[in-house]
Formats: sequence, structure tokens, C-alpha cells
Amino acid sequence: MSALLEVRGLSKTYSSSGGLFARTRKARVVKDVSFTLDRGQTFALVGESGSGKTTIGRMLLRLIEPDAGAVVFDGTDLVALPPTELRAMRRRIQIIFQDPVGSLDPRVRIGEAIAQPIRLHRLRPPEAVGARVAELMSLVGLDPAQASRFAHEFSGGQRQRIAIARALAVEPELIVCDEPVSALDLSIQAQVVNLLADLRDRLGLAYVFISHDMAVVRHLATTVGVLYAGRLVEVGPAETIFSDPRHPYTRMLLAATPSPVPGARPRPAAIEGEPPSPFNESSGCNFSSRCPHRQHDCDAAAPPLRPLAGPHPAQRQVACLHAQTLPPFVALGDSESLMSDRYRRRLTLLRDARLARTA
Amino acid sequence: MTDLQTAATRRTDAPAGVPATVVLEARQLRVGFRGAPPIVDGIDLSLTAGSMTCLVGESGSGKSLTALALMQLLPPNAEISADLLRIQGTRLAQDGAAALRALRGDRIAMVFQEPMSALNPVMTVGEQVAEPLMRHRGMSRRTAHDAVVAVFRQVQIPGPEERMRAYPHQLSGGMRQRVMIAMALVCRPAVLVADEPTTALDVTIQSQIVRLIDGLREELGTAVLMITHNLAVVAEVADEMIVMYAGRVVERGSREQIFDNPLHPYTLALFAAMPRTEDRGRRLAAIGGQVPSFAAMPPGCRFAPRCPFAIERCHRDTPPLVAHEAGHDVACWRAPIEDYLS
Repeated sequence: MSALLEVRGLSKTYSSSGGLFARTRKARVVKDVSFTLDRGQTFALVGESGSGKTTIGRMLLRLIEPDAGAVVFDGTDLVALPPTELRAMRRRIQIIFQDPVGSLDPRVRIGEAIAQPIRLHRLRPPEAVGARVAELMSLVGLDPAQASRFAHEFSGGQRQRIAIARALAVEPELIVCDEPVSALDLSIQAQVVNLLADLRDRLGLAYVFISHDMAVVRHLATTVGVLYAGRLVEVGPAETIFSDPRHPYTRMLLAATPSPVPGARPRPAAIEGEPPSPFNESSGCNFSSRCPHRQHDCDAAAPPLRPLAGPHPAQRQVACLHAQTLPPFVALGDSESLMSDRYRRRLTLLRDARLARTA
Repeated sequence: MTDLQTAATRRTDAPAGVPATVVLEARQLRVGFRGAPPIVDGIDLSLTAGSMTCLVGESGSGKSLTALALMQLLPPNAEISADLLRIQGTRLAQDGAAALRALRGDRIAMVFQEPMSALNPVMTVGEQVAEPLMRHRGMSRRTAHDAVVAVFRQVQIPGPEERMRAYPHQLSGGMRQRVMIAMALVCRPAVLVADEPTTALDVTIQSQIVRLIDGLREELGTAVLMITHNLAVVAEVADEMIVMYAGRVVERGSREQIFDNPLHPYTLALFAAMPRTEDRGRRLAAIGGQVPSFAAMPPGCRFAPRCPFAIERCHRDTPPLVAHEAGHDVACWRAPIEDYLS
């Protein structure tokens, strides 16, 4: 069975004029990115500011036009499609953004915001649209009676649910989630992550989940792709990426993810430096200036993303010349077993009480 | 003996018998807006020199309002009152507005969440950091320049002489936050308030900034009040922890006490909401419902509508904040919960 989404060699370059007397400079913000996603799976694209992850997310829907590469969705290359056919395809791929405030029209009642795509694509006869909106609102945990309200009357978490309901209105097969929970409070993040997982299981959705938050990614992802300065530096199944990361940047990201258990693991050495500007590309590995495992050959040429030897080699790829010889990785120690007995007992009581309430 | 015990030895390097200096003290601080009931509803604060207190809460807890009130950065229709409000021994009147304003920048300074919004886009960062020195300390431009270079080094901004001439938009998020911290610390304030200083930053930069603030706290002896909803940050650097919900303190104590013995159901719920390795494949423990709006506060315990352990009394009577053990207070009729369920 072919993959639902196959991205091949995706690239984006921005030009910036340096001023009246300076040469035009080029910033390659996405460089030759390729990955695949099967139906019902979640591909997490992980990276920090300037990694290119948001640009990639938008290029998948051609909200930003790629400069090179292909986005093959169910056998059709979206990049090559003329506008009229692209619109039909857009029914099948949707996007949710980080900022629920910016993505909802403040002058449109939310019931109407959800109804608009249904009408646009003629998915229901006019008399059935209202019922469908109510159904979608219930699906995401919103009270259908609130359909006549405006976006500003809702909290951040609720607005994100509205955005999800609107994305689901067209019955897509794939949803690109661009940092959907980063702007939300911790307990609301958990609600929305649960919702996304439920919807995936119930509706067979596939996600491209873009995030910098490794804890959330760990909870949702099937496959993880780590981006650094526009390039994929490591790709693999979620379990192996978290238990045995093979790129020094992946390790750095995991080490920087704070653990909610005091003294759970030794404090890692301070991480120096910042990602390079996309205008200043080095000829060698982009990460070498910050890498604790740097060696002489790292500055000679950019290491290609290639399969890691071992069981199921095709599933794991790393762009590091020394991936095989890195020292063993000390995994995160935020396990509940490190917390006190009282804490664990009370958490169990809390979970039981919640289940009893919702029963 | 759990690993928590080893973490507990972190801050006992002060010589025994030396009392910690209290630099900020507030009792029954209330913050609200004219014509409406108070939002921050009577909280106590006591910050000692060189300590790190984390104020934990989510949107609608009143934590940012507390910080802005201490800094006197609220609009004119805001009302602040307290039974006691004292910074470095200077007792402020009932309406401490004017007095607090004089101290701002000099004795108490703040670092905000969004450095881009807090920095002036048409001044170089060097000028902005020099300004409080020239204004509060009467320094000449030349002396201020050298002081700025020194503080930029202290916050680990590389190439400080050149960076001083940059405008905020030319710097990365992490650099801007360092500039904010430099600006806050340049007058050596006794108290630093950091409102979600890392939320807008990348995770690798977050840990750099948290450690920077923690290191400066130790080096300069500043009392830091860090507002955050990130429990992992609290786990890493806090001495004291205050948990707020809907304008009230629901639990307070040392980091070790609360992580070892979280008593309030809201504290438990916050811990439970963090994704963990074992959660993979299971639902995350989310708290149902949402924070009550300040216009429509429920009677009794404000968390009762969302609390899975609430009984009828909780919806009727407000539980007082009482000591459970020395230094560890909680406001709940049913804490510890295992004593009440059987």
C-alpha cells in the first residue's frame, strides 16, 4: 500500500537585498526535506525557531510555494497541480495553527465559521448544515448551543477546539498541526492533545504534527523527524528516537526538555550557542559549532541523511558522520517511579475520581 | 530514600544561624479594578534575599496581576490594597502606588514574557539598558556605557560592545531576553520579578535563560519571584513554591515539600497534566472545565466545580490557608485526600 503523503526534496529559499550597495543574499530556510506518512499515522516534525518546520507545514498545503521538490498526496503531486484542482485536494488536507486567535475571523459567529467550509465544498444540503455543525462541535467537546457566539467569547483552549472542528468539517484525511498546543496552559494542552489522539483513532486521521515540545511529541508521534537549520538531521520511529537518539542535536533537544522531577537526572552541561543564520551557511555540518562530539571531518562536508545500520535500517536515518560511535545515551528520568509514594497514591486517587465522575 | 532527598540538599549552603533577610513582604495583598470584586484576593508574600520563589498558576490565576501590582504597572482604574507592603524595610502606605513607582527599576525590576513587546523598537539595546543607570543612579553616558558592557557580559551576550548598537529586531529571541534581564539587573534591584520569562523561547534557549536567572540570583543575592506554569522549571530552580488558582493561594511550601507531598487537588492535577513516558498510548490526565471568570466566581472553594473530590461543604465554605506541616500551607477541606476517602 502506498503512503498517504510522500514529501520529496522539498526546498525553500528567500532572497533578501542587502541594501542599495550590497549583493542580494540568499537564505535557504528549507533544504531538501523528504519524508513519508502512512494513513492513520502521526509524523512529528520537531525543531526550534528557524528550523524551517512552519515553512514546511505551509508548503504541504502550498500556502507557501516550494522552490523545489514534490508533495505527493495519495499519488498526486500537489506542487504540480493547477489552482482549480488544488482546491479540491485542499478538502483532503487541512491545517491548524498555533494561534487560535489569529486563525478565526472575529466578526463571524463560530457556528458559521464551521459551516463555511461545508457550504463551500457542498458537503451537505443546506438544510442539513446546522445539524452537521452541531455534530462537529460535540465531537470536539464544545456545547452546540454556543454556535451563535463570537470567537473572543471563548478561551484559548476552546478556540483551538473550534479551529479543529472547522478543519474536520471537510472530512480531511490529513491534518497539519502547527504547534497547536504551545500557546495553551498546561492542563488545557492535555485536553487538546487527548482530543487530537481521540479523533485520530476514531476518524483514522493522519497528522503532520509540528512542535518544539518533545514531551507532547512523545505522546502522539509514530515517527519523528528532527529538523535543524532547514535540514532533517534524524528520522525514525518515536520509540527509538526517544530511547536511542543518534544525532547530537536530537540528544541536545531531549536533554533540554525539563523534567518535572527534582533531581531525577544529572543536570546536563549547559548548551551553548544558537542555530546559525540561514544566510550564513557553512560548508560542513551546520551543527558542528555547537556539537560536543565534533571532530575534524565534521567541517569538511555536510553529512548526508542516510540509514543507520542495525535492525530495520530503512526506518532510521541520521545525518551525522559519527552516529554509530556516539557514547550511550542516558534517557530522560521523569518516570513516576521516582516520585514519592504519597504523590503516586494521590495521583491514582485523582485518576480514579475523574473516571468515576465521567462514568 | 528517594532521589528527592538528594535534591533537598541543594540550598543549604547558608551558614547556620544566619537569618535570611526579607526584602519584600506583603500581607493580604488585594488587586482589582474599581467597581468590581478583587481579582487577587488576599495573598501573602515574603521574599528573602538570594532565594527563588516560583509562583505557579495558569491563565486566570491572577499571577501576572500580582506581579504587575508589585511593579505598579497597572492602569489607573486598578485598586491595590494590603495590610502590609514593605520593600527592603521601606513601609508603603495603604495605597502604595506612588511609593512603589519610585522604587520601580531601582529596588524592584521585572522581566516580561515577550521581550519584543517590552523593548523599545526604535532605541538600540545599549541605550535602553543605559537609561535606568543614567536616570536612577545619575551616571554619565561614559560610565553608563561601561556598566552596560559589564552587565551584557554578565548575562552572557557575546560581543557586548557590538551588540549594544543593535536594535531589538536584529537580535534573536534568546538574545532579547538576555537584554531584558540585563536591563532589569543593571541597577542591582533587591527583587526581580520574572513573568514567564521562557515561554516564548525555544526549549534549548529556555534552559539557558532559566540557568542564567538562577546563576544571577546566586551571584547578586537578588530575591527572584518567577511566575511560570511550567512545573519542570520549578523542579529545577525553585526554593519556594506558591500555587495560585483563581486569585487565591491554594498551596505553598518549599519545592521539596510540595513535590514530595502535593496536597491540594489543583496541585495534583497540574502534576498529572504533564505528559510522561508511561503516558504514551494512554490519555493524558487533563483537568475538565476551565478557570472561572472573575465576574462569576463560584461560592466557597473556587476550585470546587472542577475538583473530583469536592463535597457539598466545598461549594459552600471557603477553606482557609492553614499549615499542614511547618512551612507548608494548603487551602482545602479534604487534604490529604487519602485520609478522607475510605
